[in-house]
Amino acid sequence: MNDILSNPAIRKRYATEKRFRAMCFGAVVFALLFLVFFFADLISKGWPALQQAEMQAEVSYSEAVRDGKYRLAVDKRLRKIVSRGWLRALPLYLEDHPELVGTTTTKWVVVIAEVDQYLKGHPNKLKPKYKKLVDELQADGKVQLAFNTYFFTRGDSKMPELAGIKSAVVGTIYVLLLTMLFSLPVGIMTAIYLEEFAPDNHFIRFIEVNINNLAAIPSILFGLLGLAIFINFFGVPRSSALVGGLTLSLMTLPVIIISARVALEAVPDSIREAALGVGASPWQAVWHHILPLAMPGILTGSIIGLARAMGETAPLIIVGMVAFIPDAPSSILEAATVLPAQIYTWTGEPLRAFAERTSAAILVLLAVLLSLNAVAIWLRQHFEHKW
Amino acid sequence: MQEAAKKISISALKLWYGESRALHGISLDIEAKRVTALIGPSGCGKSTLLRCINRMNDHIPGCRIEGKVTLEGQDIYAEDVDVVQLRSQVGMVFQKPNPFPKSIYENIAYAPRIHGIAKDGPEMDALVESSFKKASLWDEVKDKLQQPGTALSGGQQQRLCIARTIAVRPEVILMDEPCSALDPIATAKIEELIDELKNEFTIIIVTHNMQQAARVSDFTAFFYLGDLIEFGNTNTLFTSPANKQTEDYITGRFG
Repeated sequence: MNDILSNPAIRKRYATEKRFRAMCFGAVVFALLFLVFFFADLISKGWPALQQAEMQAEVSYSEAVRDGKYRLAVDKRLRKIVSRGWLRALPLYLEDHPELVGTTTTKWVVVIAEVDQYLKGHPNKLKPKYKKLVDELQADGKVQLAFNTYFFTRGDSKMPELAGIKSAVVGTIYVLLLTMLFSLPVGIMTAIYLEEFAPDNHFIRFIEVNINNLAAIPSILFGLLGLAIFINFFGVPRSSALVGGLTLSLMTLPVIIISARVALEAVPDSIREAALGVGASPWQAVWHHILPLAMPGILTGSIIGLARAMGETAPLIIVGMVAFIPDAPSSILEAATVLPAQIYTWTGEPLRAFAERTSAAILVLLAVLLSLNAVAIWLRQHFEHKW
Repeated sequence: MQEAAKKISISALKLWYGESRALHGISLDIEAKRVTALIGPSGCGKSTLLRCINRMNDHIPGCRIEGKVTLEGQDIYAEDVDVVQLRSQVGMVFQKPNPFPKSIYENIAYAPRIHGIAKDGPEMDALVESSFKKASLWDEVKDKLQQPGTALSGGQQQRLCIARTIAVRPEVILMDEPCSALDPIATAKIEELIDELKNEFTIIIVTHNMQQAARVSDFTAFFYLGDLIEFGNTNTLFTSPANKQTEDYITGRFG
């Protein structure tokens, strides 16, 4: 009897199959390596930004300080390593708290970024005499690395020790809410019309093809469109959350329309017929039966579309949202920035302490995006109807 | 046939799907409180004809109709006819059981609610119960009215769909191969049910199963390629068909 495995043709076929599988597996490993490298790099660079050096110093709230000579608030020896931004804010602070004038306290104050980098063992340009000073203070326990609350409670600053992501986070929330507000209703209603009511003619097909094309257009072009329509024509304030939200809505709309159409299409015709058969009007059939069944799918697609909008920078550059925004916007018409734009701004800063903050901001952005996607997956698994 | 017993009258009905003609001028009278079976090979237009009677074809793009369909003398394709109203008078049961993915109770209550036939509360409860009883399903579902309708077996689902249809108190029930997705036992139950329902409703049933047509119907219409070949009393049609094509089909020589 002929052993089937000794047949050279069959052996060759098995070898090819094995080789193919090994190559596919290799591709997965390769992709995973990239991911591991990416995260390891980000976390190792971004983690230190969650700590900021501070120094215990005697602060005198004298009248001179209140009247603008803020440099006098700390001892001359320490003056050069205390954050200038922090010192500069003292007169205003004292105007708000007049009862403190004339007192002195000992408290932990934030120090300049170079000291921070020196303490963390990173390359820095701290002068030798200050290095000595910091060493002495450290020996006395008067210098420490503490949790960097400023990173979360302050907006952008030219002084890295005071720079934070708060204004970018607030801007992102505004922009995302506006994007949702504009693109969800319009997108879902467009999808319902195209999927449930539109006649099958050339005009509708032309629209459908163009919606599909829009989803593939480079996002920066939506920025140009936003600039032309919203800023130049309608006069929406430049750099505002409103113009950002509107621009990102344009970008997100095709994605939402397409995913909503897919979700509506997945509802079987038998449900439509059942509803129409008992005398529901087409509108009732959609509103009572089809839309509730398609909703999990629509939401999943929409969340993924919104997550993409949230990570978008290019169109926002065009509408002026990549800007230096130290204070969180208090309305949708004020100048604002968003997280990815903040990251973009910081990557252009030469100071090393900013590089650290860039990585930390990326980590925050990634955490939010991953949780959004997790919500989308959860929605899909728990509410989607299987047919 | 007595003029008074005529429920539905179809005359010279032609139908096109885009360019292709699916019905070539059908004329047919349906008697009240009788079961009329439409038989014929696939693609002969029997389902299409059925869907003309409650205007379900309205929703198919490119579908065009000529001719006349009257329900108790009223042209259902007239300008002033409200399709929603028509469908509450002419209910439909589909090939595949298609309960709404809602509770068993809600499946029945939905249509009476949108038509304003009954108010939520005791009135609705009574209507749901009577609809289930007429569909011989009450004993099987009375303890699980809040469970999803899709959790029932195929045969139960189909009877749920029948109960859903009769809940709006129609005059005519259209059935489009109601048993083709069911096993023989479930099929037998539906057939029994059809026998009971004809005391109250006019029933038109499309079926692929010749024995079923012979068992449940009073009248049978045989279609072939969009034409009505023969129409008559079921017994006569099955025992001594007048047309050669009909004979070939019912004896299983083609189709």
